[in-house]
Amino acid sequence: MPFEALDFYDVDSLLTDEERMVRDMVRDFVDNEVLPKIEHACRDGVFPDEWRVTLGEMGVLGAPLKGYGCPGLSYAAYGVICRELERGDSGLRSFASVQGSLAMYPIWDFGSEEQKNHYLPKMASGEWIGCFGLTEPDYGSNPGDMITRAEDMGDHYLLNGAKMWITNGSIAKVAVVWAKLDGVIRGFIVEDEDEGFSAPEMKGKHSLKASVTSELVFQDCKIPKDRILPGVKGLRGPFSCLNNARYGISWGAIGAAQACFDSAKEYSLSRIQFDHPIASYQLVQNKLSWMLREITKAQLLAYHLSQKKDAGDWIPEHISLAKMNNVDIALEIARVARDIHGANGILDEYPVMRHMANLESVKTYEGTHDIHNLILGRYITGIQSFTRDLS
Amino acid sequence: MDITIIAESNGNELHPVTSQLVGAASTLGGTVTVLCPGGIGEKEASEISGVAKVVSLKGDCFSSFDSGAWSHVMTPHCGDGIVMGSSSPSGRELAAQIASKMGVPVVQDLTGIDNGLMMTRSIYSGKAVETSNASGSCVITLRQNAFEAASLGGSAEVVTVDSSSEVSVAVKEAIAKAGERLDVSEADIIISGGRGMGDPANFSHLNEVADIIGAAVGASRAAVDSWDEIPHSMQVGQTGKTVNPSLYIAVGISGAIQHLAGMRSSKYIVAINKDPDAPIFGVADYGIVATWEEALPSLRDELANL
Amino acid sequence: MTIAVLLKQVPDTTAKIAVSGGRVDQSSVAKWSTSPYDEYALEYALQLKEAGGGDLVAITCGPARSSKMLTDAAAVGVDSMLHVVADTSEMDSTQIQSILAAAIKHCGAEIILCGKQAADTNSGSTGPGVASLLGASCVGMVSEVGIEGDGFIAQRGISSGDERVVVSKPCLFTFDKGLTELRRPNVKGIMMAKKKVIESVSAGDLGVDLGESGVKINSHAPPPEKPPGQKFEGAESVPTVVAKLREEANVI
Ligand SMILES: Cc1cc2nc3c(=O)[nH]c(=O)nc-3n(C[C@H](O)[C@H](O)[C@H](O)COP(=O)(O)OP(=O)(O)OC[C@H]3O[C@@H](n4cnc5c(N)ncnc54)[C@H](O)[C@@H]3O)c2cc1C
Ligand SMILES: Cc1cc2nc3c(=O)[nH]c(=O)nc-3n(C[C@H](O)[C@H](O)[C@H](O)COP(=O)(O)OP(=O)(O)OC[C@H]3O[C@@H](n4cnc5c(N)ncnc54)[C@H](O)[C@@H]3O)c2cc1C
Repeated sequence: MPFEALDFYDVDSLLTDEERMVRDMVRDFVDNEVLPKIEHACRDGVFPDEWRVTLGEMGVLGAPLKGYGCPGLSYAAYGVICRELERGDSGLRSFASVQGSLAMYPIWDFGSEEQKNHYLPKMASGEWIGCFGLTEPDYGSNPGDMITRAEDMGDHYLLNGAKMWITNGSIAKVAVVWAKLDGVIRGFIVEDEDEGFSAPEMKGKHSLKASVTSELVFQDCKIPKDRILPGVKGLRGPFSCLNNARYGISWGAIGAAQACFDSAKEYSLSRIQFDHPIASYQLVQNKLSWMLREITKAQLLAYHLSQKKDAGDWIPEHISLAKMNNVDIALEIARVARDIHGANGILDEYPVMRHMANLESVKTYEGTHDIHNLILGRYITGIQSFTRDLS
Repeated sequence: MDITIIAESNGNELHPVTSQLVGAASTLGGTVTVLCPGGIGEKEASEISGVAKVVSLKGDCFSSFDSGAWSHVMTPHCGDGIVMGSSSPSGRELAAQIASKMGVPVVQDLTGIDNGLMMTRSIYSGKAVETSNASGSCVITLRQNAFEAASLGGSAEVVTVDSSSEVSVAVKEAIAKAGERLDVSEADIIISGGRGMGDPANFSHLNEVADIIGAAVGASRAAVDSWDEIPHSMQVGQTGKTVNPSLYIAVGISGAIQHLAGMRSSKYIVAINKDPDAPIFGVADYGIVATWEEALPSLRDELANL
Repeated sequence: MTIAVLLKQVPDTTAKIAVSGGRVDQSSVAKWSTSPYDEYALEYALQLKEAGGGDLVAITCGPARSSKMLTDAAAVGVDSMLHVVADTSEMDSTQIQSILAAAIKHCGAEIILCGKQAADTNSGSTGPGVASLLGASCVGMVSEVGIEGDGFIAQRGISSGDERVVVSKPCLFTFDKGLTELRRPNVKGIMMAKKKVIESVSAGDLGVDLGESGVKINSHAPPPEKPPGQKFEGAESVPTVVAKLREEANVI
């Protein structure tokens, strides 16, 4: 039976026919191919390769990019894709976010014509997986001070340093790596077989278990000269990628919240305690109605942002607000849903604990919840408070 | 009123539904003629009481099923009033072709008809019931077992007609029904066993019953988890399959909420359990408080005798 | 070679059916879908087109809302779409069959695929009736069809098992559950579907004079309530239960 997503205000009726068809396509994929396998994937800690293949066949990778074999969909459609994927699992949505917004996007926006022609079609089809290396062991929220460095050796660049927490790292063919060249942040395309490059997988995650997370290690890694992204210098490069990915996350989180709501509703209707379904008790109804309220608000917020995105009438702070709010409520909904499920809620028979654990990562990556608070704080007051240096 | 009945065959014999068609026709009143395609069951048909005439249609085209060719031969022998067949898949196909050739409407799969020709049938997969009236002659098919069969004791005249038509559907290869059992998600009848079966070898008793009524065999999760011989593909319930058969027979299954989640919407539920307080009885239409050791042999014999 | 697939939009099989004023209340149906058996027909129509070339047209006769289903069919690869706009809910089998037969002629199709029955009326009259009107060979209960020589080979279910049969055009196949599920569309297909125009006509445009329906629907009603459960003691009650299954429940 196809998933009936909670949509109290019928927000999806504002989408175009085409966007709804894309939604139904991805929803069908999640119902039939993701949900039956997700718990196994999590137990084994793998991202099933057949999902990569199907994402490519459906043609949803790099959704809003146009040309070079990319789909050219609206940002609203991209949002819907993220939402449907994350209803399955945040790890699946992470794969698509990284591929499209963090690896394909910088090549598409800042790459040379040759780079675009070479990489984008194969990345859109899913044949080549991409990753995005910004975070370092010592620089997370503060990537501007990164220590990974590139040196111009005349006929090639030499890369040294290490990145950490890199989604898709060990399975990627193409890594977009941000490193300093003469003190300025630049983007480099590193390929899996490049000399001096390795990507060991990080193990032991309690969250996003069906997603591959890796270190990227560069030890005198030799990169041909034509692999630098010519079109951007400074933090603007990685930040423009993050804007797109964060936008997708603001939709994705709704999917996870819908899945938790759905499970909590079904469970509370069938679980009998003290002779009655627990759904008949006011305390439980209060929880469910709170979930409904927050999901509905999140939907309206995400939809309105999609229209601003498609119209090109947005600022990064709009996206910060949506990412922060929607992930925050999704995580809280997952926790409350877990509570409603009682002991059953801790089992992987139900999706709630998995979503809950996943959303902890989602809250942290792509700008932590509080970093977005600081971005909004700076917007409101005009005073940055990221560092003590108030100059 | 003329009533023409299309006899249903079962291999080389008359299918018992044919007597039910005659039974239904008798309640409408009128002269009943039975058409036997390929002459199959002509003698048995003539012995059903209430039949006035049997037309035995002999022709090469009747050696395999081709609704186009069959209807071509049969339509001229259908009277003006009502043409009646069984709502088996081939019965429906033939009825629709005959109706189209007669230029009259066809109404399929009736569960009731009265002598004012008020017809009852189920629509939307049983979620609603429709009653309708035909204004003139029409072709109808009746659901098996929904009508009282006519008794034996007739002696109608049998007229043989040699007539054939060009066959356009040629059988290239017959594929015998695979021995493999139906999957629970496909089956219209399911018999499931639980931990109460005691041992996986005892599922053979469920298989026996299943074979008689063409059912699939399912299992509770306790059975699947305890015994390697019972594969997860058989599991019904929240973490197994959700099924929606017309009949679900639960044997040695307590009726845990997660099991009910997968089978509650079955049209009819029968439970066999030795514990009179087992929750499965709360959802069962027919509950039998007994051990399976006592109940299953009797169930097998009763079903075999149908 | 032109292939036609007949599609009907019906309430999703998971949707609740409500009755009001003696008719199923269509406005209360939460979700409309392509009738499940028609989806198998569509999948095999696509496969025939891929194997043998030609044009694939999807035809429906139904109210305005049904066009969504044709767009969905375009997204998986149907070349053109014909929508005969009509309310079929009170039509009898002759009326609906004459419309569809005329629509098929209008498209020039000689190979027709459809479901064995629609999930709303549950009848199974349309395919064979249309075949008869068109003088096409009819193969029912098909689970698979392919091209063989100049004709087609289909696997069909009959009471004793399965058969592989060969037919040549003009021919019509009614589908039972197929061996392959309907493929999922992809973004490219969805974008293409937007560009394909649905030809929308009335029965009159096709030259069909519907006349009066020969069957008048008296009423629709909710199904009779199930009687409360009955419990019997001991294995001696098995014959009673079997008799009830047969007589009360009508399920064996
Ligand atoms: C599963 C997973 C996948 C990831 N994938 C990628 C990837 O593909 N590519 C990539 O580059 N990175 C990736 N990351 C890294 C992610 O972007 C960083 O974890 C994130 O930016 C936060 O950095 P940090 O973990 O170093 O935390 P820190 O920056 O050390 O933050 C720790 C805490 O301090 C708070 N904090 C930090 N600075 C301030 C401040 N000025 N004022 C107030 N509070 C502050 C934060 O809000 C947080 O609560 C991934 C992370 C995870 C968990
Ligand atoms: C998250 C979760 C998901 C689950 N998903 C499923 C699921 O998909 N499907 C499922 O089935 N279960 C599922 N379960 C398990 C479920 O809770 C029950 O444990 C299970 O259904 C019990 O199976 P049972 O009825 O066969 O066994 P029991 O509960 O042990 O019942 C055995 C029954 O057999 C009867 N019995 C014993 N001997 C005889 C005899 N000789 N003759 C007749 N009757 C006899 C007993 O009276 C008893 O009622 C799930 C549980 C959880 C926590």
